[in-house]
Amino acid sequence: MDKDSIFIPGDIICPADNNYISGNGTVTRKNTIYASIAGKCNFQKIEDGKTVVEIRLKNSHNQNIVPTIDCLVAARITNVNPRFCKCAIISVDDVLLPESFRGLIRKEDARATEKDKVELYKSFRPGDIILARVLSLGDAQAYLLTTAENELGVVSATSESGETMIPISWCEMQCPKTLAKENRKVARVHKDYIINSLVTEAE
Amino acid sequence: MAAWELLKDQNFRLDGRKPTELRRIETRLGVFPNADGSAYLEQGNTKVLATVYGPHEVKGGRGRSNPDKAVINCQFSKSAFSSSERKTHMKFGRNSSETNQHLVQALNAAVMSHLYARCQIDVYVEIVQSDGSDFCACLNASTLALIDAGIALKDIVTCCSATIVDEKSVVDVNYVEESSGSAVLIVGLLPKDEQIAYMQMKGRLHADHLEKLLDCAVEGCRNINNILKERIGEHLKTHSSHFTLTRPATPGRAERSRPAIA
Repeated sequence: MDKDSIFIPGDIICPADNNYISGNGTVTRKNTIYASIAGKCNFQKIEDGKTVVEIRLKNSHNQNIVPTIDCLVAARITNVNPRFCKCAIISVDDVLLPESFRGLIRKEDARATEKDKVELYKSFRPGDIILARVLSLGDAQAYLLTTAENELGVVSATSESGETMIPISWCEMQCPKTLAKENRKVARVHKDYIINSLVTEAE
Repeated sequence: MAAWELLKDQNFRLDGRKPTELRRIETRLGVFPNADGSAYLEQGNTKVLATVYGPHEVKGGRGRSNPDKAVINCQFSKSAFSSSERKTHMKFGRNSSETNQHLVQALNAAVMSHLYARCQIDVYVEIVQSDGSDFCACLNASTLALIDAGIALKDIVTCCSATIVDEKSVVDVNYVEESSGSAVLIVGLLPKDEQIAYMQMKGRLHADHLEKLLDCAVEGCRNINNILKERIGEHLKTHSSHFTLTRPATPGRAERSRPAIA
């Protein structure tokens, strides 16, 4: 297969057998992998000897990705009330979205333990950047998110004095300037959960 | 006044084409930097601009959102200077809303809308100059704009018209042929599967001619498809420096197991 050849939607890339897995930008029909977007094809070997066939767009900012169930998203909290908090999803699975999607975290999805004792304003505040997982596509208004995992929750928050706070436990963050402690549902940073596009953006 | 002699001796049409010859097709992709995708298409003297925005969250009324697939929204318009007589065309008139619905129908057949659940894709088409086969040009331009936007398609949907002149079927009709009064057949085709995504007949036609006319239009669609594919390839080659291949490959979203929604 010519690596530099360009595929156009509807073009046949290769047969879909045990060696090839259809990735982004491709579709499997009748045991054949077809291109579904226009671009160059990328063949990448994964662990078990299989090859992921993938077509990528011109630039990563235009991946046309939308949140799907079970994917990892980064969101900014916009509104907190006792029952749920609203947020704006800003990135999905490593891809920064051109415009945000509305998300919603219900009180019982904020953390895994002692669900009935959750007080949302002690978990999130407007402006916090959180990592969350899409629980369901929710109702017509918003995607339903959850942070009920140790690795999910607030990753970046500013204190009342405007400083970026440092996490000190799973439920507290401290302001480096005033040393005031604030309650947050803090995410334990784990390498599998780092969203690269956000990191590069921050740098 | 005597009618135009649409097919002259030796089977040449008014604009010098043979019956099965298409008009010259010019394309440009990515003409608007602000849109997610855009395309400009000329089919002879018919010139069309198409822009695509999305997929984004459904705007305007919560009821329109579809939990399983994307909502495609088309808006067709015709500029005042597009035809020989200056005339402001109603944007929300009966004619354009009909065309909108037809475009949506044809594009729905091509777009893999299940990938963009609960989202909306906007397609805006404007006729800059009109010389027959307006709908075909609009659909072809929309397809190009969708490709430019990177929206997943099953296949490139191409559209072509055909009509009967002196018992002979002619392809890609221009304005004079279109207004001659004989039936015009418009076909939108998904060439890979040989599926007809859209078909429209304007005027009355003897049933004996239909098969011949359909074959003619389908052949035109295939030819347009080949031309468009070539043009997209050329466009991508000249813009290939933008390709970034830094992200690690991930199995496709469609391949992932999806838990059933309770």
